[in-house]
Amino acid sequence: MKKKGTRLLALLLAAMMVLTACGGGGEPKQPDTTDTPPATTDGETPSTTPETPTTPVTDNKGEPIKDFVTYQTATAEMETLFTLYSESAGDLDYLTNCIAGLLEIDNRGKFLPAIAKEWETPDEGKTWTFHLRDDVVWVDVNGNEMAKCTSKDWLTSLEYVLNWHKNSGRNSSMPRMMIAGAEEYFKTVEAMDEAEALELNCDSDLFKNTVGIEAPDDYTLVYHCVSNMLYFDSLAVSAALMPLNQGQLDAVGVGSEMNSIENTDLWYNGPYIMTEYIQNNSKTFTRNESYYDKDCTLFDTVTVLMVDDVLMGQQLFMNGEVDIAPLSESNLRTIYGDPNNEWYEHLVEGRPSKYSYQAHFNFHKKLDDGSEDDNWNNAIANTAFRQSIYYGMDLTNYWARTNFIHPEKCENVAYTMKGLLYFSDGTDYVEHVWEKIGLPDGRGRYDATKAQQLVEQAKQELEGKVTFPVQLDHWIAASNQNSLDQAVVLKEIIEAIGGPEYITLNIRTYATSLKKEVTDFRLHCWSFGNGWGADYADPENFLFQELYDDAGALYSMNTSFINEATDPQLIEDYKTYTAMVREAAGIYDKDERYEKFAEAEAFMLDKAFVVPVLYQVNWRLTKVNAYTQKYAMFGMQNNMWKNWETSTEPYTTEQYTQLEAAFNAGN
Amino acid sequence: MASKQDELFRFVEYSPENAERIGYSNYSYWRSVMQNFLKRKSAVFMLFVFVGLVIFSFIALAIGKYDWATLVTNTDLAFHKPDGEYWFGCDNLGRDYWCQVWYSMQTSVKLAALVGGGECVLGIVIGCLWGYVRWLDRPITELYNIINNVPMIIYLTLIALIFRGLSFPVMCITLIAFGWLVMARNVRNLVFMYRDREYNLASRCLGTPISRVLVKNIFPYLISVIVLRLALSIPGTISLETTLSYLGLGLGIETPSLGILLRNARNYFVDYPYLLVFPAVVVALITITFYLLGNAFSDASDPRNHV
Amino acid sequence: MVKYSITRLLQSAVTVLIVATIVFLLMRALPTDYFFTEEEVMKLTEQQKQDRLEAAGLNDPVAQQLLRFYNELLHGDLGKSRRIRVDKPVIEIIQERFPVSMKLGLISLGISLVLGIALGILQVLNKEGPLDHLGMIYTIFVNAVPPLVTYSLVLMFGAKVLDLPSMFSKRNELQSSIMPVVCLSLSSIAHYAMWTRRYMVDELNKDYLRLCRVKGMPTKDIMIKHVLKNAFVPLIAYIPASILFTIGGSLLVERFFGIPGMGPLLVDSIGRYDTPLVQGLVVLYASMSVIGVFLGDVMMTVMDPRIKLTGKGDTR
Repeated sequence: MKKKGTRLLALLLAAMMVLTACGGGGEPKQPDTTDTPPATTDGETPSTTPETPTTPVTDNKGEPIKDFVTYQTATAEMETLFTLYSESAGDLDYLTNCIAGLLEIDNRGKFLPAIAKEWETPDEGKTWTFHLRDDVVWVDVNGNEMAKCTSKDWLTSLEYVLNWHKNSGRNSSMPRMMIAGAEEYFKTVEAMDEAEALELNCDSDLFKNTVGIEAPDDYTLVYHCVSNMLYFDSLAVSAALMPLNQGQLDAVGVGSEMNSIENTDLWYNGPYIMTEYIQNNSKTFTRNESYYDKDCTLFDTVTVLMVDDVLMGQQLFMNGEVDIAPLSESNLRTIYGDPNNEWYEHLVEGRPSKYSYQAHFNFHKKLDDGSEDDNWNNAIANTAFRQSIYYGMDLTNYWARTNFIHPEKCENVAYTMKGLLYFSDGTDYVEHVWEKIGLPDGRGRYDATKAQQLVEQAKQELEGKVTFPVQLDHWIAASNQNSLDQAVVLKEIIEAIGGPEYITLNIRTYATSLKKEVTDFRLHCWSFGNGWGADYADPENFLFQELYDDAGALYSMNTSFINEATDPQLIEDYKTYTAMVREAAGIYDKDERYEKFAEAEAFMLDKAFVVPVLYQVNWRLTKVNAYTQKYAMFGMQNNMWKNWETSTEPYTTEQYTQLEAAFNAGN
Repeated sequence: MASKQDELFRFVEYSPENAERIGYSNYSYWRSVMQNFLKRKSAVFMLFVFVGLVIFSFIALAIGKYDWATLVTNTDLAFHKPDGEYWFGCDNLGRDYWCQVWYSMQTSVKLAALVGGGECVLGIVIGCLWGYVRWLDRPITELYNIINNVPMIIYLTLIALIFRGLSFPVMCITLIAFGWLVMARNVRNLVFMYRDREYNLASRCLGTPISRVLVKNIFPYLISVIVLRLALSIPGTISLETTLSYLGLGLGIETPSLGILLRNARNYFVDYPYLLVFPAVVVALITITFYLLGNAFSDASDPRNHV
Repeated sequence: MVKYSITRLLQSAVTVLIVATIVFLLMRALPTDYFFTEEEVMKLTEQQKQDRLEAAGLNDPVAQQLLRFYNELLHGDLGKSRRIRVDKPVIEIIQERFPVSMKLGLISLGISLVLGIALGILQVLNKEGPLDHLGMIYTIFVNAVPPLVTYSLVLMFGAKVLDLPSMFSKRNELQSSIMPVVCLSLSSIAHYAMWTRRYMVDELNKDYLRLCRVKGMPTKDIMIKHVLKNAFVPLIAYIPASILFTIGGSLLVERFFGIPGMGPLLVDSIGRYDTPLVQGLVVLYASMSVIGVFLGDVMMTVMDPRIKLTGKGDTR
């Protein structure tokens, strides 16, 4: 009896399993996996190529990649597909491939003609004239031509950006700062009735008469600046100055209709068309056949996958599913530690990211109960105390968190980012700063003996005013293991300056990545590792952020709270610095201007208002030659997949060293 | 016939003491519970394992060569494989993993025990009121629905964001605040069932206060359910804590927990499986123990299974 | 019955409204900085921030915001997303996402129902035997070990040994769905097996079954006609809710495998201060759960005519 039952149920089970299988397989699936293949067409397993160092670029056995696959992590997912509305790199890194602007940048951060084939400023930056190509067209997602791209598209886009009721002020700050009449137009429109404001366009009298932009003909564009804007061309590669066709607006609508636009409704004039977008999963870009630049190298398709973390990306690279993968520390260690590892020879070092990382002190710290933290405030107002930190931090272990093979490459001793500004003789602005602070190589700020003297000096000067050890509250995101790891290292570094009886670092945590829940309450002692990315190519973009008594100085207002400090000597120093910066900003001869700025920067560093801490230099596995990628410290174009040199075979360390040498030699 | 009767029956002497004797079976509730429980060999074994583990976590910290509070990073030792010096190897920062695992285990067990206890007390109190006091039925049902109808993760995320991260006490309170539901519902259903039994009716007629009715007449029926819930809530809490840590909503770093170790290990386990295996085994031992214990003890404590 | 259903649904609507209100108030308790990206927090001036908050209506008194929210809700308008996808209607975002979650969820639900019930039946037939113990061990393991660990193991095994794709992709949906579906099913198989076993054992101990045996009814008939059928009634109450819950997706699994479903949406939208989306999701989840429970009760009465739905004592 029992046996029978078992058999029956076994049958039942078997039947159910068959059903399940059907259930699983019967789902409507896309049958064709070959239609748009996941891009890795290289069948051969990566062979360890015997290196014969000849011409550095061509000794890689691979072919150029046709279908490029890369990835991003979920936290950076796009929020909008509308370039003029977006202010975040998460969007613009992809949109830059869809929309072409007036200018482009090259792999050294210098300007190249793009839609503007020529441009000039006859009067030291007051007017800028751009002469446009006449063969640029807008296409829809299927590649059908929708309109010609003319100078009018820039008028339309500027009007849109400056119209509060259309674009909520997004991307408007730089045009308002630079273009004549823009601020006035912005304020006027903001005060207007919504319906009335939406009626405005670039042909409206108000716009024509107020804003300093004109289009003498379809292919000439003239901007008038508020003053000598030597660096107006940086704006031409930013989102604010990307073109917008009136036809696109007519088809979709303004405001929220544009902000929520789908890839299928977008018009493209850039190198790629976004043919598929599945949020939180993948994006596919296909080459735009109507793109004006017929001679450049483009991929046939680019696919961007979304992964949960970097580790997954590495796995995908090793499986040949993506073509570039930054390495996490653990993976780098594994590969680096084992010369027999399949990937040992393929470890390559990238170029520094575009941020210059700093530690900003807080001069007006409060305790958790809202009362003043006098101990810290008195200590940090003392120059010797700050300098003891400035000279006493041996950051090698901290840099090793980013790059343990060559930690010294991460050393940053200047405030402004290197590679952003060049004197007319070709020397980097930052090199001048290095010279002025006595570190001509840009290396070796750590000085134990000097730090010891400063520690003693600080202890003496602060006698009776400050109780040692000084408590340094270091805040990190509770969820972020990486910042925790860094904090642990930093604690050791800080407590090594004068022993734990001098400064103690307390690691404290906040809930999310938004630091404001700490800084609003002034609970931080310092803000460590702020990366400032340039908005435009001028030192003032960096140095203005530290001014005393200036509402536009972001770090002064939000991080160091210097305006609320009370120590007379500290305020005096800050005022001196502010005066130096303002003097430099009034000079319009480029070299003289930069020299003055460099002096101000050196003064600030010597007084240790801030401590430069890091350049980001990462290791990766890659099939892309990073030295052919666009590399600018500002603008939105660094991720444009144009003229990239790639190879179906991963590059080797040696090849990359050659590439780097060749690149540097060309300087 | 008569002879057979003689074999089966005999006369006894009259004894006044024996005449007073009653049919007392020597039954003790708790002894029966213990007896039944001890019959479950696997559960008893796991209990020993768990107690051993807790005791060992203290011993381990004592005999370990490194102290959690004074761990230093050492990049040379990063991902050091387990050996005689570093018994569980080193993590990505070159810190001894042995003391981290045991220290974390203590945190996690402490959290789970506190949350389990809290849920228990709150759940029983609310459950009793819910089931016994009629006019409270509607409001508590509403409250139950409000909490139960939305994924708990919404509330947890919001609270984590509002409170700037879940410190140990906040985490405890939050988990208790949202964890009493199941216990309360089970208790309520049982109270509901026994409330109007005749003996309770009689008890009330005799003027017994409600609290006494609840504690003396009804509570013993609840023990089995309570123990089961308590035992299940411990693995539940540990699981939830790992999930929260994975989402970045877990405990702060000053309180290292198994959840945090597991989350970190996830990034490295392909290359360094031991980073995942050690904490995972500890977690699995704890959770499986409580699962088995709970089931065994709840069977054992159900008076209907006695005799 | 009809009257009861109507009252009950009305009550549920009130519950949903209260839930939405509570979440609404909690969201407003967050610092408004969550409204901005990290870069914006840094680079915007206070005035610009105030302007943006003003434009989004977040500077109005909370009561006014709440009234506006109710009003929109009454008109079936869940508003527009703010940060997940700027200005896209919340309903459209949900429409885009839920089919993905639901598809995977339903497949795994089907698998777990079939396998789970089958496993439960086998365990009952082989009570106290090796198969039963094996089933128990599986149940215990899956229930006790944190999902994070289980999923990591599945991922390691699937990717390294079976060479399955570790990322979900629409181009290769069948293969890339295997691991997520396995992860989703693991614990629910155990769940259904456990309940099936428990209900069947309860049923087997009932007196009428003894009568059936005594009168010589074949085991096969007993099992199918009586035991399974009766054991199925309490199980069936959970099914509508389970089906509805597939819409919500699984936070962990979808994060793990990069599935563009509903799961991570909630945590992401809270983290990005996307209030309309959070509220929309809460209303959706709360309604699903209320309706699921209600449908479960209805199905139970259909399956088992002895159960009657009344207003009394049916709180679950």
